[in-house]
This record gives sequence, structure tokens and C-alpha cells, in this order.
Amino acid sequence: MRAQASRASGRTQTSWLVAIVLLAAAIALPAFASGYVVDVGLTIITYAILGLGLNIVVGYAGLLDLGYAAFFAIGAYTTALLETLLHFSFWATLPFSIVFAGASGVVIGYPTLRLRSDYLAIVTLGFGEITRIVATNLDITGGPNGIYGIEPPSLFGFEISSPHAVYELGMAFFIVVLLFAVRLGRSRLGRAWTSIREDEAAAEAVGVATLRVKMLAYVMGALIGGLAGSLFAARFGTIDPTAFTYLQSVTILIIVVMGGRGSIPGVILGAVIVAGLPELLRFLNLWRIFGFAVALVALMLLRPQGLWPARIRRAAPRPEEEKRAHEAEAAEAQGKESAPAVAIADSGAIDAVAARETLMQVSNLERRFGGVRAIGGISFEVRSGEILALIGPNGAGKTTVFNCLTGVIRPTGGQIRWRGEPLGAGAPHRNVHRGIARTFQGIRLFNHMSAFENVLIGMDHRLHTPFVAELVGTRAARSEAAEHAALGQRWLDLVGIGARASEYASDLPYGDQRRLEIARALASQPRLLLLDEPAAGMNPTEKHALMAQIRRIRDLGVTVLLIEHDMALVMGVSDRIIVMDHGEIIAEGAPAQIQNDPVVIDAYLGTAEEDDGPDATDGEKSLWS
Amino acid sequence: MSTFLQFVVEGLTIGSFYALVALGYTMVYGIIRLINFAHGDLFMVGAFVGWTALGTLAAARLPLALALVVAFAASMLATGALGVAIARVAYQPLLRAPRLSILITALGISLLLENGVLIAYGAGFRTYPHLLTQTGFDVLQVHITFAQVGIVAASFALMLGLYLFVHHTFIGTAMRALAIDQDAARLMGIDVERLIQLTFFIGSALAAVAGVMEGLFYTQINFFMGFVLGLRAFTAAVLGGIGNIPGAMVGGFLIGLLEAFGAGYVSSQWTDVFVFGVLIAVLVVKPTGLFGERVVERM
Repeated sequence: MRAQASRASGRTQTSWLVAIVLLAAAIALPAFASGYVVDVGLTIITYAILGLGLNIVVGYAGLLDLGYAAFFAIGAYTTALLETLLHFSFWATLPFSIVFAGASGVVIGYPTLRLRSDYLAIVTLGFGEITRIVATNLDITGGPNGIYGIEPPSLFGFEISSPHAVYELGMAFFIVVLLFAVRLGRSRLGRAWTSIREDEAAAEAVGVATLRVKMLAYVMGALIGGLAGSLFAARFGTIDPTAFTYLQSVTILIIVVMGGRGSIPGVILGAVIVAGLPELLRFLNLWRIFGFAVALVALMLLRPQGLWPARIRRAAPRPEEEKRAHEAEAAEAQGKESAPAVAIADSGAIDAVAARETLMQVSNLERRFGGVRAIGGISFEVRSGEILALIGPNGAGKTTVFNCLTGVIRPTGGQIRWRGEPLGAGAPHRNVHRGIARTFQGIRLFNHMSAFENVLIGMDHRLHTPFVAELVGTRAARSEAAEHAALGQRWLDLVGIGARASEYASDLPYGDQRRLEIARALASQPRLLLLDEPAAGMNPTEKHALMAQIRRIRDLGVTVLLIEHDMALVMGVSDRIIVMDHGEIIAEGAPAQIQNDPVVIDAYLGTAEEDDGPDATDGEKSLWS
Repeated sequence: MSTFLQFVVEGLTIGSFYALVALGYTMVYGIIRLINFAHGDLFMVGAFVGWTALGTLAAARLPLALALVVAFAASMLATGALGVAIARVAYQPLLRAPRLSILITALGISLLLENGVLIAYGAGFRTYPHLLTQTGFDVLQVHITFAQVGIVAASFALMLGLYLFVHHTFIGTAMRALAIDQDAARLMGIDVERLIQLTFFIGSALAAVAGVMEGLFYTQINFFMGFVLGLRAFTAAVLGGIGNIPGAMVGGFLIGLLEAFGAGYVSSQWTDVFVFGVLIAVLVVKPTGLFGERVVERM
């Protein structure tokens, strides 16, 4: 595995080397190429910048944007207007371009992000069209004629107006954007975007503030679009609305998708093809765009993932982080027996367990779906350090209770108090931050992320490093990230899948996927862990291991609330059991008590009048065995 | 008051075109969750096929009524066949690919159709024969032409037919099943591929009717005419709740009315600002569109 890692890092080094050589060649282009080639080169650079910006929205976050040209327009018009009306220098307009474009990212993002993704297409398209029409019809923007006489930027008294100088300015912008995009993709925000792309509900349930994160995708994309707009205004000295049409947005989208969503080299390649190929096809005259369209369709049919699809992102902890994890483990092993558990758990939780405080108090909880009363006013409490099981026949309302407790659905009545405070009906990720984590009845992992990354997503809201520090990569940020990674590895070790950290979640066998879900939930360091049928589909050996694991989790100071149909497991592991039927609690007590409760037996098996006596006893045997 | 009613009449007329084209968007979206960006261009192709057919038939000195019928039929058949061909070659192979790939393919097809017609017919306008006159009748001081009545009536009839087809025939039921769950439909013995092609045929044929009617009504057509109309028709489909057939009809007429009022009372330059503004406002309040149901998004 170590050898594999070094081979991988060797490959990374080679590709970095190639990238730097190519970049140097691009910078040196004006020295040996004709004016025409330099001009096309600058167009490619502009499209590459726009593509990298849109790639954040479409590639990283998986959101659709058919109006990206609006941000391009906002940047261009901001620079043009500030220069011509207020006589700002080009450089002084840049912050305004970026801020205005970013703010419009919020404007477009905020009302629309609750929409389904396909509706987002038309809304963003509408936003783009509205921006263009406003620019076309207002007097201040020069109407259809646009704005003339934008001064070229100057640097240290040197005017950037020759094609070569403007090209190098574009190149500088491109490099800045490139670094920004690369760092962003590797940041916790980039990870959160990927998780949303994979499974938005699951991301929310492990603590990702999905709405905010999606909005940030629009904002980050918009910033880059605004910057590209300023460059565009400086290059031509004149702008008009025809540069910011729907077709422009579509062109940028084609660059991203044809190149490979989420793949930075892919996007750059896409820009080279989309901006360069029509130039090469000039000999086709009228058939030029037709030829391009045919090529585009053929390409998508042959390579639906794009020309240069994104590679798997960071798959596993770096060797040095892994070493740190093992060192910590070794140190603990020398200490007392329970030490490893304590070291990764929240120390406050341990105290709370000792105090046996009431963790959660549910009173008269009710949830209706239309006329159906899924939960009919139930009350119970969860005490620190216990393993509480919630059982009942299918349709009893158990998962609905879970969904209410985690904030996925809003109760229609009653109250939930969490450590004494009312649990407001906020977004589910807030409840995760408060210390309530869950797993799902059907496994919901981020399939195309490694097991390790799945766990990191669960931990990310605990990071303290400021975002900018993370992008820049300060020493403190790197050290926290390393600790974070080491801890992530240990959660995987805890559930016994540490060796598979670098595998895609979807490639893990079923039992390991279940374990990974538990590790991901634990990584948020919850006080209460809700397990929704964790033993479903497991064989007896695996169930046995699961029981031990649930106990181990409790020993970490994590209280466990469990929905489960497997009675052997429930009876074996629980301290207390709540039985639900038809949305009501019909029994509550210790396992031995529940086993002999006639009401419970009725609920599961029907009354003696309905069933034949012998059958009922047979069923009883199999139920409790 | 009479100007208001005049705008209503105009709005319903334009709305008929939007509604007919919106049906195609909504049907295709309903069954394969694809925003068929080439659909507006199929409308344009329909107009051109109709134009060519009418020209040829006029040269053959066919009686006018017969020529019209044949032109409509030819346009519907040819455009429908084109829609099926596009579905088979460009969309069906990508049904299991990421959804953005198929969207980009649709954009590519759109570009291809526009530029194909540009090459074949040139960039200038082609003119339909002036068959529809301004004759009509006056109600409440509003002049309504027979042509307007005919267009609205024809589109209503087609929509009603489609609605009945989808809700009261065996094939229509299969289509609705396909819209809900493609795999389950396949397991129930539905020939999913053929049904998808049929949907494309119907959608494209309806767009062709709208295209020929547009040519007859406004008389001028060019290769780019499908773009703006397609955009507004798509907006109409989303406004009504995409995937919902009556929704697309209502959305089409609403957009038509909005356009007529916007142009009449403010300025036609701002039409799309109104259209998209209303759309965004509606979606913010009701994220599924006016008549949309909650559709489970395919993961």
C-alpha cells in the first residue's frame, strides 16, 4: 500500500511537471506566435477562466446554470461603467466587479436553491436573459450599442494595450483563477459540494449546511465570472450586450461538460476545443458551426463523461497522517484500557453519561400526513449513556419519529427538548451540530467518494480553521487538516474498515457499507446516535459483531437510539425498549418486561381470536428466539 | 376596456403557439426527464417543411384547401420522423449517462438543426403565401379574425385530443406508467424504447402544426425562429408544472397573455423580463409550478 502511494505521488509529480511546462509554454506564446494565434489564445484564456468558474457550479456542486454569462456581464459592465463614469483605474474596478458578481450570485442563489435541479435550469436561464435585456434597454449601460472608450489598464506607468501585454494580463488572471479553483476543489467546501452532488439528503443528515454550501457554489462561480468580465472589458475597450447572450452561457456550459465536469484539465481542454476548433474549421465557411454541432453530439455520444473526466479525489489519508494515527493509538494502548475510546470521544459526553442526565425529552410528539396520523402524541425520554430500542410492526411510525428527532420533517404537534433546550425545527444539519447523528434505513453513502472522504464529510463542521486560511494553506490550517485526517482514519479503524479507507464507498461489501455509515455518523462526535435498522440484511455473525459494536459506541459516551426488527439483537443489546404500534407507544421497559408483555405480543402477532392458538405460539417462539 | 380585450385576444393567439410547443417539452420531460433544447428548433423545421410543401403543391396547382391539408400532414410526418430519429440516434443511447451529457447533446442537436436549415434555406426570411386575411367579426369593439379563432380552436382541439389519448387509451396509460417508473414499466412488458419514440413523434408533430400555423399567420419564417419561441414555450411548461399536460396548456396561454399585456402596456423590449420575472416569482412561491406534482428526482 505504501508502494502504491509513492507510485501515485510520483504520477502526481509528473503531471504537475507537465502542467508547469504547458503553462510556461502558454506564457511564452506571444514570443513565437503570430498576432492571430495570440488573439485566439486570449479568447481561449477567457473561456478557460469562465469554464473554471462555471465548473465550480456545475462540476463541483452538480448544479445547473444556464445563465452564467450574467456574471460575466456584471463584471464587464462594472469595470466599464466605473472607468468611464467615475474614472476609476482598471485595478480599482476589480474588487467591485468581483463583489457585484458575487452579490448577484446570492441574489440568484437564495430564492432558487430550494428548487429541483431542472427548474434551476430555467431560472438561471431567466436570470441571464433578464440581465442581458436590462443592459440592452437601460440608458446608463449604453443600450444596444454598449459602452465605448474603456481605458486600457496600466501597471507601473506601463500601459497594457498591445495584444501581447493584454494576453499576459489574461494569463495572469488565468493562473490566479486556476490556483483558486484547485484549492477550492480540495477544501472542505469542495468536499461538501461533492457530497451534495452525490446525495443531498445524506449530506444534510451528516451536518453539511446544504443550502448555504450550494449558494456558495454560485457565489464562488460568480466571482470568477465577474473577474473574466473585467478582463473582457479591458481587452476590447468596448462592450455591448451581444457578448452576454444565452448562447454565451451555453458555450461555457459546453466547455465544462465536454471537457469533463469537475476536472480542471478537462475544462481547460474544453476551452481550447470550443474556442479553438471553430477557428480551425474556418475553411468550412457556412458549414463551420454545423460541423461543430456534429462534433459536439458525436463527442457526447462517445464520451458522455467528457474528454478528460475528473479523477477520484483525495482517496486516503497521506502516509504521514496515517502514521500519526497509529502513533496515537500506540500511545493509548500503553495507557489504561478504556483510553482509546475516551481519546476520540467528547470528554463532556463522558461526564454527562456519568451523571445520567436526560438527554432528550419528547412530549406529545405528533405528526400527521394529510389525514393519516403517523405519530399520535407520544412522550418518552432518552437518558445519557443508555441503549434505547424503538421497536414495533412495520408502519408503526418509528422512522417518522427518527425523522422528527433529526429535523428532516417538522412535527405537527408536541415538543422535543434536547439537553433541556427546545429543539427548534431547523435544518437537519443544525441538529447534527448539536450532537444528534443518524444512519439511514436504506444505506445512503456518498458512493463516488472514498470511505475516508465519507467520514471526513461527517467531521467537517468541526473544523476551526478559517476558510481563507484553508485556501492559502497556512501552517495552522495544514496542521488541523492533518489532525482531522488522522482522526478520520481512526473512526474507520474503530468500525473495523480502516484498511479500506481508499476504496469507493460503492465498492465496499454490504456489511462494510453499513459500518461506514456508522463511522460517518460517529465522526460528527454526536451525543446521541440514531441507528435505523442497522442489522437489516446482515448475517448472524455480522449481527453479533454489530451488537458488540453498539456497546462499544455506548462506551465512547454516545447514547444510542435504535430502530431494529431483529429481536435477538434488540433484546441482547438494549437497556430499555419502547414499543410502538399505530403511532402510539404501547409498552416501555426493560427487555425482560417487554418480552412478556401481552399487549406487545398482540401487536406483533394479533390476538388469539384472530389467529389460531398454535400458530400464535409458534410465531412467539420464532419472534423471541 | 376594448384595448384590454384586444390584448386578451392577441395573448390567446400567441399562447396557442406556446402551448402547442410546450406540450412537447413537457411530454419528453415527463418520460425521460430531459429538457429537449432542440424542441424549439423542431417547431422551426416544421415551419420550413410546411413552406416547402405549400410551394411545391402550389406549383402543382392543387386546390388550396387540399394543399393546406397535405402541407400540414407532410410537416407533421416529416418533423415527427425527425424527432424520432433524434431520439434514437442522440438521446436514447445516453439515457443511462449523467443527465448533463444528454442535455449538452440536446443543445448540440439544436445548433445542428438551426445551422442545417441555415445552410439549406439561407439566413434570410422566407415568406408564406398570404392566405389568412384580416376578415373576422367584432365583439365588444374588439376585432377578432377568423384566423385567430381557427388557431386557438385548432390548438385546443389538439390538446384535448392529446389529453384524452394520454388518459383514456391503453398506450397513454403505458406512457404515464413509463413517466412514473421506467424500469417497472419495462418489467410490466411495456416496450419502453418504442414508447419514448412515440412520445417524441407526437411532441414533434404538435410542434410542426404550431410551426406551419405560425408561418401562415405571421407569413415570415427564418432559421432562428425556434429559439425565442422555444424558450418561452419551455418557460410555459415549467410555469404550468413540467411533466403535466394541462399545466403546459395553461402555462402557454399565461405566457401568451403576459407577452401581449407586457407589449401593450409597457414595451415589447421588456417581454422576457416579465416572462422570466413571473416564472421566478411563481417558482419561489410554488416550487413545482402551478399544476406540478411532486416528482421523485432520479438519483
